[in-house]
Amino acid sequence: MNTILPDTDINGYYEIRLESIGGLGANLAGKLLGELGVFYMGLNASSFSSYGSEKKGSPVRAFVRYREQKGEIRNNAPVLKPHILGIFHEAMAYNYPVFDGIKKNSKIVLNTAFSAGEAAQKYNITTGQLYVMNAGAIARKCGCRLNMVMLGGVIAASGFLSLDGMKSLCRENLGKKYPEAILGNLKGIEQGYEMVRTQEGYVCGKDSTNVENLAQSPAGCGLVSMKEPWSGRFSGYLGGVNPAAGNSMENDLSASREGYVPVFHPEKCIHCGLCDSTCPDMVFRFEKKMVDGKENIVNPGPDYRYCKGCLRCVSVCPVAALTREEEEKALKEGWLKKWENQNKGKGHEKEAG
Amino acid sequence: MKKQRIVFANGNELAAIAARQIHYHVMGYYPITPSTQIAENLDIFRADGKSDIRLIAAEGEHSAAGICYGASAAGGRVFAATSANGLLYALEQMPVQSGTRMPMVMNVACRCVSGPLCIKGDHSDIMYLLNAGWIILFAPRPQAVYDFNLMALKLAEEVRLPVAVAFDGFFTSHQKRKCEVFEDETVTAYVGEKPEWENVLDLENPLTIGSYMGEKDILENKYELSEAMKLADRRMSEIFRNYEELSGRIYHKVENYRTEDAKFIFVLLGSAYETAKEAVDEVREKGIPTGAVTVCSLRPFPYKELAQLCRNAQMLVVGDRQDSYGAGGGSFSLEVRAAMQRFGWRGKIMSRVYGLGGTDFFREDAINMFKECIDKDAEDFGYYGVPDKTQTDDDSAINCNKLDPKDTKLHLTSCAYDMEKRQMAVKGGGLKETTILPKRIAPGHGACPGCGIPVNLNLLMRGIEGNVVFLFHTGCGMVVTTAYPKTSFRVPYLHNLFQNGAATMGGIIAVLEEKIRRGELPKKEITFVMVSGDGGMDIGLGAALGAACRNQRMILFEYDNGGYMNTGYQLSYSTPYGAGSATSHVGKEQFGKSFFQRDTMQIMAASGIPYVASVAESNPSDFIKKAAKAASYAKEFGMAYVKALSACPLNWNDKPENEREVVKAAVDCCFFPLYEVEQGITSLSYDPEKTGKKVPVEEWLGRMGRTKHLLKEQYSEVTAALQQEIDNRFRRLKARAENPLL
Repeated sequence: MNTILPDTDINGYYEIRLESIGGLGANLAGKLLGELGVFYMGLNASSFSSYGSEKKGSPVRAFVRYREQKGEIRNNAPVLKPHILGIFHEAMAYNYPVFDGIKKNSKIVLNTAFSAGEAAQKYNITTGQLYVMNAGAIARKCGCRLNMVMLGGVIAASGFLSLDGMKSLCRENLGKKYPEAILGNLKGIEQGYEMVRTQEGYVCGKDSTNVENLAQSPAGCGLVSMKEPWSGRFSGYLGGVNPAAGNSMENDLSASREGYVPVFHPEKCIHCGLCDSTCPDMVFRFEKKMVDGKENIVNPGPDYRYCKGCLRCVSVCPVAALTREEEEKALKEGWLKKWENQNKGKGHEKEAG
Repeated sequence: MKKQRIVFANGNELAAIAARQIHYHVMGYYPITPSTQIAENLDIFRADGKSDIRLIAAEGEHSAAGICYGASAAGGRVFAATSANGLLYALEQMPVQSGTRMPMVMNVACRCVSGPLCIKGDHSDIMYLLNAGWIILFAPRPQAVYDFNLMALKLAEEVRLPVAVAFDGFFTSHQKRKCEVFEDETVTAYVGEKPEWENVLDLENPLTIGSYMGEKDILENKYELSEAMKLADRRMSEIFRNYEELSGRIYHKVENYRTEDAKFIFVLLGSAYETAKEAVDEVREKGIPTGAVTVCSLRPFPYKELAQLCRNAQMLVVGDRQDSYGAGGGSFSLEVRAAMQRFGWRGKIMSRVYGLGGTDFFREDAINMFKECIDKDAEDFGYYGVPDKTQTDDDSAINCNKLDPKDTKLHLTSCAYDMEKRQMAVKGGGLKETTILPKRIAPGHGACPGCGIPVNLNLLMRGIEGNVVFLFHTGCGMVVTTAYPKTSFRVPYLHNLFQNGAATMGGIIAVLEEKIRRGELPKKEITFVMVSGDGGMDIGLGAALGAACRNQRMILFEYDNGGYMNTGYQLSYSTPYGAGSATSHVGKEQFGKSFFQRDTMQIMAASGIPYVASVAESNPSDFIKKAAKAASYAKEFGMAYVKALSACPLNWNDKPENEREVVKAAVDCCFFPLYEVEQGITSLSYDPEKTGKKVPVEEWLGRMGRTKHLLKEQYSEVTAALQQEIDNRFRRLKARAENPLL
């Protein structure tokens, strides 16, 4: 019999999945949720993450599994059908299957500036109850990390996890390690909590008959999935050889950005080449061009598909032809789009021929 | 039962807690995913004054195993942790440890063995240890990692054999669970005083350990080892019983779940056993009597117990997270088959290779595997879950973005060798002009925002025209550019293990030269570029020096970010003195890294190769020109070694947009002086003293989170010592530059 957990699956688990990119603290959030269960709620818990090399900006998933105190946790596999899904980074909704496994009564906490209705439509969320908050803005206001705000939101969405417990845990855990940051962190948790608590939960897919997002499992057992974006493989080549020279060009790295982009002002550019000497992501593609009847080397501006927003170019530009702007604003103003379009279909691909 | 407290910890953390409580004398290690956290956690304990285990960061696993062997032959209690290729690199040391009967405990967080490289969990590493004379305990869950670590030492010292505690990499090593641990005193009492054994520090009774032996003696030595395994088998049961009294937790060599009346039994090793229990419950609800077993001792293998538990079953479904290619099963199922056959069992054994390279094993997978095996036409051996073969390949992608070497022959930069001056003169190499050289490395790679590696590779390639063949060591640079089915390379590329790149490149060059000599290939101009991080220059220094002594025609390019960044920033031999890292934490008992950065430039220069140069992105034009020179030397004279200081915002703990300034400060404080050694003659490329730009080392240290603490008063001696070392090195360098004879 469940005494604490409101809703469990057939094996007795209550499960949480956090979708993020490396560097936003989803792993720590998962760990704290596990500790909250064990030390403050009398639950059994496990927490773990999807692992890769230790990189910033690439997708990370954190999983938490709760069970009533006496129940053993045996399942070691990732959480497929979460009761709560926390999405730390909105841009992932474009490129990664973050909504897989969502059920009708799953609760989704999404970090976005859009309203729930807008976000559900924009990201085609067809089922589940959606809670939204601009976690980045709240975090900046509170002077805390984004994961704290998301934690507050997840706790509120759960309806049973203890806010006070999490605050004590943070004081105990993070307070010792980063005493100067604890007040901001506690504030972030509280505000995230309030943001979600005061929402009703937008019911996604009200008009649709789709009850569950089902897909193929990785091992082909026809259940739910954590499918990875697949873009061809090369079975004719022995030993895993990859014949697709330079096909990483097809990648879109824009989800690695954390709120800022370099905006290019062509009228100021003196085409000196310093930006290209500091850009790790090869977003600049200088080319020979006739300018005023003379052949010159010119900078056509960044290709934003690859720009991870590190702003190295902004700090080396001697004439402020590249400036740091909020990505949200830049998108709204169409500053990025313009240059993306201009570069589309030329540059990288053409260069080969 | 003894008092215990609850922790929420993963397998690695629990192994470290056990090691701290046991109070080992020495741990020799080299970081490798996913076992690295063990040394990291012990280092945190050390920094906080909670442990004084001597942690020795070796320059590779082979040396780490050497340290462990020496330490145990000196009579110490010795601890180790490794995974995958680390275990294989250390492998030749393992039979020495067991053959001379030196006890120690080594944790193996099991992971897929490379090629191609994969860092996720499976059992392909641990099975290499089966024939090494080590006891191997396999922990199916984090709690067992802690418990086995305590019992392992007991067993090791009682039967005088080394013990490996193995567990699933990531699934167990990184999964946090609610677990119980003893008070420290309980562990101290449990493991007791270290028993004495023959050791090389016994000066009263000088012993020869490790004799040269003939046939009969070896036969006897191995027979004794085999008998010791039998003893271990008997003692293990007792140790499990005693431990149960202490902890309340019951262990068996073979654990079982609902096997009493089971007709079908899953036999799985590690974490998959736990997941399979849920499948058993589900299948049983449909009225099919199934059960599950796991083996907690791979060596000695519990033949009797396994056969006893499974004797009434009709079918065993054995999961192998590894394959013994060509044997019709992984090593685990071959053992299970041998055990059942030995006791005359007549049922059916189905072997299924699953979960390789960290492929998740869901409850549904267990059920599916079961369904597959009970099919009457099922083969007794096969792979489970291999991707659908009918999926079409993406042929259009093949070679789509390859680079025509002609397009990179733009004559933007050229070199001419001056016979008299014995110098290479560079023309061109302009920062603006070379922007139009097509990039050999495509965008779309997965490096962290602001990473210095692609910046440095880009600058290097700007100075090199024509054909290029790359070889990358394992490391960030390799991982972020070649995640299958994507690659950022538009020119030929080979990866090899990171102690071996220079040697491997040597082989490539030898074939080219030989094919040209035999007339099988027309003469070709190729710049061979071997790319390594500073980690690769730790573990691979031997191979690099070998290739240097042979003076093979390649550029050896080192991107030095001062740490093992790909595995989460452990110290490398290039990490600055005093810097904090995951294996040199800053705490009340520790100020950071305890020894100076290795002067790899001088080591390479001493090997006598024709060109050695240091470069930095803060001086981009100098960088491009040196790249051009290096390529000319590599084509005409032999090896060129180029070392770049490479920013790592993630682990230097600073802002990506500031990295050029941080690198500049390192150059200006002379921590990273820019110079060349050309045909033995040293010349400074940039002398901050002369231009009045020299800054104190604090200017640089204060810009990075990893070294910021050194500006505090309490660390002034550390900073002063670093400044002294930097100044000494720079003075010597200047003396060399002023005197060609040096």
